[in-house]
Amino acid sequence: MGRAGKSRGEDAEELDLVPIMNLVTILIPFLLMASSFVTLAVIDSTLPAIGAPPDSSNDDTEETLSLKIVITDNGYTVAGNDAVLKTESDEGEANQPTIPCKKAGCPSIDAYDGKELTSLLSQIKDRWPDEENVVLVPEDDVSYEVLVLTMDSAREDPETKEGGKPRELFPYVVIAGGMQ
Amino acid sequence: MGKRKNRRGPTEAGLTITSMMDMMTIILVFLLKSYSTEDISVAASDDLQIPVSSALKAPKLAVNVVVSRKDVVVDGDWVLDLEQGIDEDTGGEVISVPDDEKRGQLITKLYDRLLEKAETAKDLGVRTGNQEFEFKGEVLLQCDKRLPFSVVRQVMFTAGQAQFGNFRFVVVKGSG
Repeated sequence: MGRAGKSRGEDAEELDLVPIMNLVTILIPFLLMASSFVTLAVIDSTLPAIGAPPDSSNDDTEETLSLKIVITDNGYTVAGNDAVLKTESDEGEANQPTIPCKKAGCPSIDAYDGKELTSLLSQIKDRWPDEENVVLVPEDDVSYEVLVLTMDSAREDPETKEGGKPRELFPYVVIAGGMQ
Repeated sequence: MGKRKNRRGPTEAGLTITSMMDMMTIILVFLLKSYSTEDISVAASDDLQIPVSSALKAPKLAVNVVVSRKDVVVDGDWVLDLEQGIDEDTGGEVISVPDDEKRGQLITKLYDRLLEKAETAKDLGVRTGNQEFEFKGEVLLQCDKRLPFSVVRQVMFTAGQAQFGNFRFVVVKGSG
């Protein structure tokens, strides 16, 4: 290549790209190996026996809310201070979940109404702004995917923004043993 | 330039590297962008589908417990197989820990393995005296999204008994 350029006399010499090509061809497989197209994250949780994370308030004088979300194949039942929250239309009826599934029997994850749960928890957060813990009580058959969806719905409210970020609801999740 | 080449005749048709270089440069930039040095990796397969979540917390290195639909693996070592059956009422698939592998809620083989890991981790913490290596009982749980909670609970209970009380559920970052 170089020689050919010289023979052409005063013509500008062509850039020799072959070494760069070599370099790039080696770099590409290396980067392909090291690149990841799936980014991972983690959700923290502790055992109920170990209890709440240390940075939660230990103020005994204040009324605390021991928020629980029971996940069954009928939907979510939200309870706090040993009282079960009921939807107005369901009052009087026994064993109705607070937020029923969109489809009876909750056949898939889409049937669980995570958005409704978030807006309900957002209202609870308005009353107890210092509360950060929530206990999840899932039934045995509830799939892990639904558990993650519930933790997501309880963690933050993407609809309400606080300083540009989604509003934090109950980020500290404790998973209870569930119902046998 | 093009004209000159034509005059030299078809014998000197060299490889046009420039366009290939353009392509390579674009690929290079793209790969550099997706380059990652994450602490943990997930070997995704048909039996291990990690659920998508809106969580943002970055994963940290810890004892890695992988519960797929087939088996339980701790730090890359196989521990036990799970049982797959058919639910007679619904016809759906039921995954459970075999009865002879557990004592009540405790999965015995997993308990032994995790206890070993806990001892090693504590030993390391004492020997180095480094705060960073102190045993905090952290365990990374990678579970298949279709697993029933009963299996997850038994794994969590076993880990708790083996002094691993801080669970980190590994999820795939997504819009959720």
